[in-house]
Amino acid sequence: MTYFSFFKAECLALFYTKQRVVNALLFFVMVVVLFPLGIDPSAEFLSPVAGGIIWCAAALSVVISVESMYKESYLDGTLTQLIVSGLSLPWLILIKVGVYWGAMMLPLLLLTPVFAQMLFLPSDSLFMLLATLLLGTPGLFLIGSIGAALTVSLRQGAMLMVLLILPFYFPIIIFSTAAIKAMQLGLPYGGLLALLGAISLLALVVSPVMTSLCIKASVR
Amino acid sequence: MNWIWFHKLGSPKWFYQWSSKWALPVFSMGLLAMLVGVGWGLGFAPTDYQQGDTYRIIYLHVPAAVLAESCYLSLGVAGFVYLVWQMKMAPIFIKSMAPIGAAMAAIALLSGAIWGKPTWGTWWVWDARLTSVLVLFLLYMGIIALQNTLEDAALANQATAIVSVLGLINLPIIKYSVNWWNTLHQPASFSLTEKPAMPMEMWLPLLIAVIGFYCLVVGLVMWRMQSEILLRERRTQWVKEKVMNHGV
Repeated sequence: MTYFSFFKAECLALFYTKQRVVNALLFFVMVVVLFPLGIDPSAEFLSPVAGGIIWCAAALSVVISVESMYKESYLDGTLTQLIVSGLSLPWLILIKVGVYWGAMMLPLLLLTPVFAQMLFLPSDSLFMLLATLLLGTPGLFLIGSIGAALTVSLRQGAMLMVLLILPFYFPIIIFSTAAIKAMQLGLPYGGLLALLGAISLLALVVSPVMTSLCIKASVR
Repeated sequence: MNWIWFHKLGSPKWFYQWSSKWALPVFSMGLLAMLVGVGWGLGFAPTDYQQGDTYRIIYLHVPAAVLAESCYLSLGVAGFVYLVWQMKMAPIFIKSMAPIGAAMAAIALLSGAIWGKPTWGTWWVWDARLTSVLVLFLLYMGIIALQNTLEDAALANQATAIVSVLGLINLPIIKYSVNWWNTLHQPASFSLTEKPAMPMEMWLPLLIAVIGFYCLVVGLVMWRMQSEILLRERRTQWVKEKVMNHGV
């Protein structure tokens, strides 16, 4: 096994289970639809909160889809093979998370303008929303990967993982929606975006190492 | 009247042979009627005195919306048939029909959005009709997801049949949403039972387009069912012989 063959295998495996990605995207759509139906469908209410709704929906669908990231390979033993392969486990994890991120976020970014329109997001804020999604979601996936690895050996791990991981998503959601709001109010937003990028970079450094520690603890 | 030919359609083999004769003629007739109806409507029907030429999108929007509902109704009926009589053909039909219905609902939503922008000034409003059609689209996607996720075929058949029947509740909501709630979407503009509110030259191409869409979908679903039958019956003798003699 090489890093490249692992990358190729991950892409293929994701392609064969593409319905899972579609399910996560459908979940995103459902959560978005809940807000106008449950609270208020008028443009006066939706327009200022549209960015926040899309961010919450994205965070929830990411946490749901990341949860099962290591499950299958844990059950069929491939995870053990990764540990004994002689390659560096953190790098393999980084590749896996990257593949997942690309597979889920590219369609989600394509869906976002449609739902931004349906939630009456002002069109000048759309680019800000897309920028925060691009900057923030790598952090969501990387942090989620730690939780997924922690609970991989548990049978009922899904709820536990959501409870563990969502608090770490709060800062990302707060800074993203704050950046969108700041732009709508005409305030400077560069610092907020920088903070968002900083969180993702920190997760990029810490998460693969932590995830590999958790995986080694779970696989015995 | 002799109904034996109809009962025989419950057998995959008979259905396959019967539908291979009918799929192409029905599909071509549907394609022709659709082209005539949509072409007539887009090119030659009179211009509306209020909306100008924007109204012409109904020649795409109305047939797609009608079909999205009809397809779901047929899914519900097939689901019921499967739950009661356990007929083999019903889940095959559901699996073949669901993506077509989803495509129709998507066309209806998209064409409606394109029409709404110049007329209502917005791509989308959360009004009862629009939302219930969005829910219909999501139901279709749910059925497709269920089918692709469950690996046990028997369980997948049962589960999709149940969801298809449950989702029927949405159809009267879509149908009467424009009457129950005072919404932005106008009441039905097309009906076979009442005298049309629009002049004959507008109404007739719409009728032809709707009929064309129906035939088109019937032809498509027959083809999809044929490939599904071949896949599910691949271990039977007649499929093996057919593949040996004619290829696929």
